[in-house]
Amino acid sequence: MLFRYVLGILFVFLVFPLNGFSAESSISAADQTCMMCHSQEQDMTFDAGEKISVKVNIEEIGRSVHRIISCSDCHGFTADQHPKRTFKNHRQYTAFSAKVCTQCHVSHKTKIHEKLLSQSPKGTVCLDCHGFHSIQRARELSKGNHYCLNCHQRELSITFKTGEKQSIHINESILNISVHKNLSCTDCHFGFSSEEHPLRIFKSKRDYSIAMSESCRRCHFDKYSRTLEGIHYNLLTHGNLNAPVCTDCHGAHSVYSGRKEKLANAKKCERCHPEVYKTYAQSVHGGALILEHNEDVPICSDCHRAHDMTDPRTTDFRNAVPQMCGNCHADKDLMKKYGLSTAVVDTYLQDFHGVTLKFYKQQGKSVKPIAVCIDCHGIHDITKINAPNAPMIKANLVKRCQKCHPGATANFPDSWVSHYKPSLKKAPLVYMINFGYKVFIPFMIIGLILQIILHIWRYAVNR
Amino acid sequence: MKKLGDEYIKRFGPARIIEHWLNAIVFAVLVLTGLSQKFHDYSAAQWIVMTFGGIDATRLIHRYTGIIFAGLTIPHILAASFGFLFLKWQPSIIIHKNDFRDAIVNIRYYLGLEEHPARCDRFDYKQKFEYWGVVVGGILMIATGAILWVPTVAARFFPGEFIPAAKALHTNEALLAFLVIVIWHIYNAVFSPEVFPIDTVMFTGKISKERMIHEHPLEYERLFGVSLKSPEDENAPEKSMTT
Repeated sequence: MLFRYVLGILFVFLVFPLNGFSAESSISAADQTCMMCHSQEQDMTFDAGEKISVKVNIEEIGRSVHRIISCSDCHGFTADQHPKRTFKNHRQYTAFSAKVCTQCHVSHKTKIHEKLLSQSPKGTVCLDCHGFHSIQRARELSKGNHYCLNCHQRELSITFKTGEKQSIHINESILNISVHKNLSCTDCHFGFSSEEHPLRIFKSKRDYSIAMSESCRRCHFDKYSRTLEGIHYNLLTHGNLNAPVCTDCHGAHSVYSGRKEKLANAKKCERCHPEVYKTYAQSVHGGALILEHNEDVPICSDCHRAHDMTDPRTTDFRNAVPQMCGNCHADKDLMKKYGLSTAVVDTYLQDFHGVTLKFYKQQGKSVKPIAVCIDCHGIHDITKINAPNAPMIKANLVKRCQKCHPGATANFPDSWVSHYKPSLKKAPLVYMINFGYKVFIPFMIIGLILQIILHIWRYAVNR
Repeated sequence: MKKLGDEYIKRFGPARIIEHWLNAIVFAVLVLTGLSQKFHDYSAAQWIVMTFGGIDATRLIHRYTGIIFAGLTIPHILAASFGFLFLKWQPSIIIHKNDFRDAIVNIRYYLGLEEHPARCDRFDYKQKFEYWGVVVGGILMIATGAILWVPTVAARFFPGEFIPAAKALHTNEALLAFLVIVIWHIYNAVFSPEVFPIDTVMFTGKISKERMIHEHPLEYERLFGVSLKSPEDENAPEKSMTT
């Protein structure tokens, strides 16, 4: 025994030269005794065969809040009394050690401590979150997100009333790639802090998600107030709990900007609207997005909007269609890239349907549905007009016309000059009539005005 | 002595006067409801449409007023043809080659190249051209208006392109008619120094002898069997009365 003491002391002096002395000298004699052995690389083997090192890093203790108490205060051992104890495994040892904490820390400040302590030692114990030799003050731990992650980086889970289990393990690397990486946990999980950790019971995971999405509006109030007009919020308030809330589209801990990537955005909608997405994927827009990664094309939210999406079956939505399409199809620079005409919007707006629609919008109500872009070109299944089975080719167009004009015959679609400005090639009759009047009206009117002027002049001269 | 200006000669019967004013009202309504559709981008046009109760109401009014217009124009043509063929009505409104000559003479007179203005009969060339403008234009408007009212029916008989063509014709002819009436007709009936402040013929049906001799000398000569002037006569009555 004496030999081991001497050896230990010699070893300590060898291992902790100079800078080690400050920590060394501040610890009590009793602790120095412990350190004689525990500063060496030694293993302890549990019954199950698991091994842990029993080496203690003295510097770690020097930094801990518990540097003022001695080893035996927690471990119960002294130099003279060092009984051999056996534990089944490391976990059992940890749980056993944790009991010691409650000898001093009796006041269970927060509900979560109460809950955890009431659970079996197999659950979470003090050491799991607070550490042991390096134990810190709560306020030191709570710097940044580390305080929360102390517990939540562990494989914890909660169980909802329905029996659903949900991991509450948080992967810090995910937090760091989110746009919220500079926020702290409690910014969203308000009501929680190093002091407060109320216990809340939710019926289901969905209930929890819906409740949590309320956090977002504390910062994103503009978006939140827009969602109030949206169909999703409306469905939610009418009891459809599957209607998406903020986190369903934006994610929770991995939240990132919705504007980032169009395809990823469209995919979000697919989760609930797979059929529509399938149709869209085959359309000229969807195809370009998915196959060519073309970001010029519209995705779901470009037409339906992101937060205040309204019911697309309403007349108001229908009446807004030419404007939606016009957002891109009237953009000269954008359309030039694809060799598309921007006259499509104006030719529509100046024609019978477009004029009627404009007045209906002004009147605030539609007397009857008016043909808009989608009625001929399709909605999610928009194709190129020269695609082989494009719905715009004449035979198909008649059927579209007949929806509103029951008596329409094969000739009828020709009455629509297909977005072309009348020319000698396209609609020559219309072109010639317009041209004729363009010449004749000024000729006539200027002639008449000249005659009036001459008449007045003659009258004045004669007087 | 009774002044010439105080003597009146009957020019139109009540039927013509009523017809004129019905046409005027119908024309005004058609212009308001029609041109406001043509010029839908202008806020004044939009105000008119809204005042009529929206685009559907405006179109409804336009179409039924169009029917009234057809109800005035078609019987007029039929009655005139019937009268001409069976009742020996004088075709005084038919454009004659003299009318072209009159127009040239008048313009030369305005320019000071001619001593006297053209000597006209019951209707002068201005009235004739305007009349035929209304009749031919009216027929065009009625035909194209009908096509636009029931385009699906029209497409059964005509190529589809006739529908936008009908629209082009309807809309352009409307603008022309509107401008001619507003500029030419209103000038001649209201602002012309010869009638200002207003030509009363279409109210009373009577024309003063003075104006008759001045504007329709040939008719006057025919009616009263007198010769108003010889071209050589320096003191031709209509010239002295013009001034």
